[in-house]
Amino acid sequence: MNNNKRHKEEHLERLWGMREAGQNSIDILKETVNGLFDPRIVDELLVEGQVELTDDKIELTEKGENNARRVIRAHRIAERLLYDIFGGEFETGACEFEHTVTVELIDGICTLLGHPRECPHGMPIPEGECCRRSAKTAHNVVTSLTELGIGQSARVAYMNCKGDRQLHKLNGLQVRPGAIVKLHQRYPCYVIECEGAHIAMDEEIVSNISVWSNKRQFKPVEKKSVESERKGRHGWGRLIFGRKKQTGF
Amino acid sequence: MKKSSNPSSAKKILVVGLPNTGKSQIFNNLTGEYAVVANSPLTTIEIKRAHCRIEGQLFDVVDTPGLHSLYIHSEEELVVRDAIFSERPDVIIQSIDANRLKQSLTLTADLLTTGIPMVISLNAVDETARKGMWIDSDGLSRLLGIPVVESIAVYSQGTKELKKAVGRARSGKWDVRYGDVIENGLLSIESRLPEDLAYKRAVSLLLLIDDPFIADYLKKEYGDVTCARLRKEIDEIKMQYKGNISRVIINRRNRWIDDIVDEVVKKQKVSLEGFSQSVARLSRHPVFGIPILLMVVCTMFFLVVNVANVASEWMNNRLWAPVQGAINGIFPAGFWHDLLIGDYGVLSLGLANALLTILPILLVFFLMFNTLEDIGYIPNLSVLTKRLLGKLGLSGGAIMPLVLGFGCKTMATLTTRTLRSRRERYIAVYLIAFAVPCSAQMGLNMSILGRMGASAFLLFFSVMAFVGTVAGVALNKILKEEEAKIAFIQELPAMRLPSLKAVLKKTYYRLYWFLKESLLVFVYAALALFIIDRLGILDATKRMLSPIVEGILGLPLAMVDAIILCFARHEAGAGLIINLVRKGQMDYVQCIVAVIITTLFAPCFANIMAMAKEVGGKRTVAMLFGIGVSALTVAGSLNWALVALL
Repeated sequence: MNNNKRHKEEHLERLWGMREAGQNSIDILKETVNGLFDPRIVDELLVEGQVELTDDKIELTEKGENNARRVIRAHRIAERLLYDIFGGEFETGACEFEHTVTVELIDGICTLLGHPRECPHGMPIPEGECCRRSAKTAHNVVTSLTELGIGQSARVAYMNCKGDRQLHKLNGLQVRPGAIVKLHQRYPCYVIECEGAHIAMDEEIVSNISVWSNKRQFKPVEKKSVESERKGRHGWGRLIFGRKKQTGF
Repeated sequence: MKKSSNPSSAKKILVVGLPNTGKSQIFNNLTGEYAVVANSPLTTIEIKRAHCRIEGQLFDVVDTPGLHSLYIHSEEELVVRDAIFSERPDVIIQSIDANRLKQSLTLTADLLTTGIPMVISLNAVDETARKGMWIDSDGLSRLLGIPVVESIAVYSQGTKELKKAVGRARSGKWDVRYGDVIENGLLSIESRLPEDLAYKRAVSLLLLIDDPFIADYLKKEYGDVTCARLRKEIDEIKMQYKGNISRVIINRRNRWIDDIVDEVVKKQKVSLEGFSQSVARLSRHPVFGIPILLMVVCTMFFLVVNVANVASEWMNNRLWAPVQGAINGIFPAGFWHDLLIGDYGVLSLGLANALLTILPILLVFFLMFNTLEDIGYIPNLSVLTKRLLGKLGLSGGAIMPLVLGFGCKTMATLTTRTLRSRRERYIAVYLIAFAVPCSAQMGLNMSILGRMGASAFLLFFSVMAFVGTVAGVALNKILKEEEAKIAFIQELPAMRLPSLKAVLKKTYYRLYWFLKESLLVFVYAALALFIIDRLGILDATKRMLSPIVEGILGLPLAMVDAIILCFARHEAGAGLIINLVRKGQMDYVQCIVAVIITTLFAPCFANIMAMAKEVGGKRTVAMLFGIGVSALTVAGSLNWALVALL
């Protein structure tokens, strides 16, 4: 996990909390931010247009607010989940959780929990896309890399490796949980991109790599790229390279 | 160490790094030697050594094949690790392709564990700059505790700095810990390792993550008893540890890598998708890839025919004809005439054949082929051919060796050691020897067939593809499945614009090596033919072979000479065929059959030696027999079919 990014998120989260309490003084931020206050982080947030600074007052901009909302929502949904299921200690787990999950996963959990409005502390949970559409069913948030459209990227969730040897091999190429991979082609052979390198591999391996889905869940699933892919399959490719078992669709 | 010129006091530098990161280029830059470099993995397959002098101190520089981590995936990687463990280098230069910094840091982590003084050569920084990626090399140096030198090895930039940095090499910082159970386990393994073993922590770590080769190494060096004791200890640690030790170690190390990359790499948010990336994508695209491949082959063919052949004819007419005339004037006939410029003359069949007929063709062909290598086109073919080769029983790893066979069959045969399945290794070695024409063969074949028109080449190409496929399928059926297939994971090099200097240099060296290795062979082969001709053996052989050569293959008897020459050196045989074509002794069908038989029949001597090395003498003989019989069958039936059809 990117330390800098985590640090920024902690600052944004605190600013959101301060706003809920009607505070906007930078001194309060300095005292109450989770972890150490870092003026460099504030500078970076300023440059990125996430906060505005006037005298000693600091406020979230619209962009900063959106990011803060995402983090807060993840944190409070996680609290809700841990509290409802396990009772007891939920703060530490939620703190780890908020920095690592995707929007899609949070929406999925939110839907499963029936769109909770408040966290166990009684603070409001910001609405998500799923709440606005009152979604009733959660969608898969992890899919096989083979189901990505050509040219799409996704973050690796986990891999089912056939033994440690393969694990070491893939890890050496930095194909590992958390890595961003991009699917370049399926035929005649899978080619993916990871950390700037192109790697050709067997379908068997690609299908064992699971990625966080980034399909927009609450709109009809976009199938355009998938469709055109499928068209491609019935053309010359198949004639030359033979029919291949289709997976997924 | 005292400064002296005595080689025994030379310090040892090992150049290691991931495949295709420019190790050989660094080796060349440091030593002034020339080891073949290409934009492709598996270019270096064996260890190379040379000396270099840095600030008065003599260094022994060792170039190694690619290595991903100390955990070994294939035998050519094992060679490198053995070199590190047994040679105990004074300095390791890790060559890192700046584009793939993150991937390289796993190896860096492993090397830091050994405690060997290190320097990092951060290569291809021009490419990262163009991509909008900036690496803080000073920061990297600070974090790792070792010198990091930026370089653009292809243009020899940064060599001076690298030489200076070698003096500052030291053991880096490595403070990653894996938790109490693993750490204590490592200590207890270390304490049980033999006293004189170097790099104990690295070895213990490898034992703990079940490296497939390290136990064998220890058994070989220190005997069964030590190993059994260690085995027990390791099993106990594993029992104690609930969970997958490999995963924990990998995760911990990955966090270390992430922290470093976060700190030292800055990326532009937007950047142009590089021209080279689009070209790479197109070249392996299922629809556009094949036309591109055909275009590449066609371009080569037309250049060979329209440039190389023309040049070769011109040289023959302008340079050789006068010499021949002069010698004719002195020795109108008789022994000296025949010895010098007769059918088997040392000047005509030896020197002129090599220098005036073959050399210009190789020059043109190598220029093009080396350009392709420099661009990085060839490894991308593994994507296009993957499915087809899968049908031949070749999964995964065998693809690169076969594709590389179109460069040099000997090298490609040696790279089959990366295949862990014996069955696949046999299929690959056989196919490389039998059905893959190497770049020199390809160039000369183009030249011969070009004299008959493009359709002859097209026919040759299809026959070769057909024969290769049939041979692969047949072998696949004959050899029984012995182990589960190993999955295919192959990193593809990024394409780059070719560097004229690199291409010219490589072409120069390839031609120089050709002349050095074979000019005398050409002369001796001509002399040998001359002698057995004089003794009447040649005629007897021809009479004996005539049912095969004339009957089955439909070739003129003079082709026997070419086939014999082929055993000495394929290029010499090809030169003789070109001569036969010039004299009008070969027609369209005969030309194709002759090219097919020489291509299939005769792997060169170096190739045969490489085969013996990889699969053993007995199997090589069996394979050569198989190749001989199938070559005759193919060429014979082709002759029959073509004569019947045309």
